[in-house]
Amino acid sequence: MTTTALDMVPPGTRCRVIALDVGYGINRRLMQMGLVPGSEVKVLDNSGRGPLVIEVRGVEIALSRGIAKKILVEVLK
Amino acid sequence: MLRRFWLKCSSKWKCLLNVVYVKLMVVTTGKNSGREREIVVGVIGQPNVGKSTLFNVLTGEISHVANWPGTTVERKEGVREYKGKIIRFVDLPGIYGLSASTTEEVIARKYIVEEKPDLVLVLVDSTAVERTMYLAIQVLELTPKVVIALTKSDLTHSLGIHIHVDRLESKLSVPVVPVSAIKGYGLRELLDAIIDVAEGRRCRREPIRVNYGSFLESTISDVERVLSKSALSRKYPLRWLAIRLLEGDPELEKELELLGEDEVVHGVRRIRESLARTYGRELMELFVAQRFKFIDSLLGDVVVRVEKKARRYEELSLTELATALLDRLIQHPLMGPVVSFISLLILFSLIFAVNTGFPFNVLLSYLGFSELAELIEEYSISGLLGLGFTYLSTLLEPLLKTCLGPQVTSLIVDGVIPGVGAILSFLPLIMLISLLIATLEDSGLAPRFAISFHNFFSRFGLSGRAIYPFMIGLGCNLPAVLASRTALEEEERRQLIVSVPFIPCQARLVVILAFVTTYIKNPLGQALALLSLYAISFLVALLTSILTRRVVYRRKEPPELVIELPPIHRPSGKVLWWLTWDYSKHFLRKAGIIIVGLSIVTWMLLSYGPEGYGVGIEKTYGALLGKLLAPVISVLYGLDAEKAWKVGFALLHGFIAKEAFLEATSLLYGGVSIDEALRALGFTLPSLMAFLVFFTLYVPCLPTIAVIYQESRSVRLTLSVILYMIGIGLVASQLVYLVLASLTFLYS
Ligand SMILES: Nc1nc2c(ncn2[C@@H]2O[C@H](COP(=O)(O)OP(=O)(O)OP(=O)(O)O)[C@@H](O)[C@H]2O)c(=O)[nH]1
Repeated sequence: MTTTALDMVPPGTRCRVIALDVGYGINRRLMQMGLVPGSEVKVLDNSGRGPLVIEVRGVEIALSRGIAKKILVEVLK
Repeated sequence: MLRRFWLKCSSKWKCLLNVVYVKLMVVTTGKNSGREREIVVGVIGQPNVGKSTLFNVLTGEISHVANWPGTTVERKEGVREYKGKIIRFVDLPGIYGLSASTTEEVIARKYIVEEKPDLVLVLVDSTAVERTMYLAIQVLELTPKVVIALTKSDLTHSLGIHIHVDRLESKLSVPVVPVSAIKGYGLRELLDAIIDVAEGRRCRREPIRVNYGSFLESTISDVERVLSKSALSRKYPLRWLAIRLLEGDPELEKELELLGEDEVVHGVRRIRESLARTYGRELMELFVAQRFKFIDSLLGDVVVRVEKKARRYEELSLTELATALLDRLIQHPLMGPVVSFISLLILFSLIFAVNTGFPFNVLLSYLGFSELAELIEEYSISGLLGLGFTYLSTLLEPLLKTCLGPQVTSLIVDGVIPGVGAILSFLPLIMLISLLIATLEDSGLAPRFAISFHNFFSRFGLSGRAIYPFMIGLGCNLPAVLASRTALEEEERRQLIVSVPFIPCQARLVVILAFVTTYIKNPLGQALALLSLYAISFLVALLTSILTRRVVYRRKEPPELVIELPPIHRPSGKVLWWLTWDYSKHFLRKAGIIIVGLSIVTWMLLSYGPEGYGVGIEKTYGALLGKLLAPVISVLYGLDAEKAWKVGFALLHGFIAKEAFLEATSLLYGGVSIDEALRALGFTLPSLMAFLVFFTLYVPCLPTIAVIYQESRSVRLTLSVILYMIGIGLVASQLVYLVLASLTFLYS
């Protein structure tokens, strides 16, 4: 089990959210979209630059790197 | 006043007063169709669940559009008559939850609590129930009078999703109705359910109780005790209030403070903070996580997903293959931006071409095929419209002159008709562009393209979505300002409104080309001049954006991108038409009036002088204004007074429509060809370039200004934009002049 920031996770990987540390408003938005500690996320696209694409609760979401950097996850499998 | 009184009334009183009101209405209007008062339904849903589509299908015509008080968020209402009852639907903003962390969330919550609709219709996307049910649960925690519509249910089968609606219904004790706005089924059942709930036949009595686990539950009880004496507990359900305050809700805390209940705020805050310390994280995280846990257990035997066997490429149909290919291409790290840019460029060029022939007309005439270019222009939509209006004017002029006299005739022919003509000639462009944007949005392509540009635009304090206004701006600034609505946040939107008008539109290009081809003979020089003007304008636009963000809004970070990527699919014609028409209607109604009004004002400036009407161009107020500007112009661009006032006068014309600069100049020289007129102004190379920089930047055209006002609803912002643009135009043009003049000096 490895813990890392979401922006370091390669595409195709499943991970579990451990903590979010983004600004107030965005934090609430992300949580209401299902990105809470404990929830499972799949990284669909992460090219190392530009926004990431992840899947949360069956919905694809694009996140800028600034946000992804502040989401701590644990890589599954 | 009245509203506060109304809220304070007990419900018995309300019933009584309502009956009195209805009876009074019957007496005064004489309309007694046997109906009671209308049923009011608030419609709410997360973004992308298909709310606009369903709203349109349910109501057909939008009966009322206004802004939510104190905001620029639109409030739409529509009415539907069904089984002798009138149902009024109120469209609430698309939001993810009711935490009140955005303006939209505050609006929705306020509406539910303060306007007390008969019921709330919550839309849940049946292709993503696990996610979109969240809002429904939040609404159910606030009010029991709810109907849930499962949208897009035509898609579930092919996605291998099965939803046991009856189970969900009995677990939640509110009606749950699968609907498809596109295929049009489930609507009658939905309307029946709405009437049932409104009349109290099929509804819960109490809000839903989510079990938050023994630990949080005991805390909730503690807070409930603190709150039980608060005046707010009469407005909101006590448990809901306790939970919201524990999650942290500045909006509610403000309300408590206004009531003078600061101790309550502090009491709850103390509990919240001590718990957060024990837990090491915000309490809201725990609540939201528990809510999702509740949703998962709720949906456990309700939503069944059949894992579809992944199909090989050979098994896909052609459209599916194309979709998959496009998806892969756009998301490719290197190809993505290139493919996105080229596709958007092609799409927008086609739209502009249909409308005015641009950019092909310019390209062709540049390559020497001027007849072909003219043909394209003539048969473009705006070419034909222009022809129509000229025809109309020449037809009407003699007729009007005989019955109304020359002044009124000129008012109509030179003031009103061109004004209406301007609106009508913008209309096809706006419709075409909205159609394209709607197609990109509805197909799910728009957010995917935007991602590719995020890196670039974030340097200038914008998000990737800024690509749309910037691209549209190349054709025309007016729809570009309208497209600022794609922004992710209010600050970004305003940044776009102030920076997009710097982008050289097609009309400015026409003037620039006329000057450049008149004064510069060498093709390489022409191209260089043109490119540097575009580069300067884009630079100014982008710098304006970042400056506005840093200085005016004091925001250091660029807008963070958090957008949903709906699956790519074929857009629905119905939806496209609604979106397009909605956009265009807005423009016609709001900007239309301003444009006609201002056209009349300019007509007066250009036909009246201190000595009255019909005094010849040189004695009109417009010319006087031009002469007022002349000293400045003559100093800046080294022109003598006689030429300077002509330039000033032509610049005033250019304010109405950029390309009018050319006609005005030729008119001032007694109707010689534009070429000759421009040459007569006698610019040198440095002063020419400096002047063109000013001309490109100084101010957008009048209709664009009307739209800037319409979109910002702020006279101050609109005036600031004008002054700022003139200022930047002057500064930039002087810089260019200095650089070029010293270069010329060095090399001569
Ligand atoms: N198949 C199918 N697609 C639908 C249906 N209703 C809406 N859609 C599609 O779902 C997408 C979102 O629809 P909108 O009506 O724009 O959704 P909205 O909730 O208003 O979203 P925002 O405008 O982002 O607030 C569009 O691409 C629609 O074409 C439906 O009943 N069936």
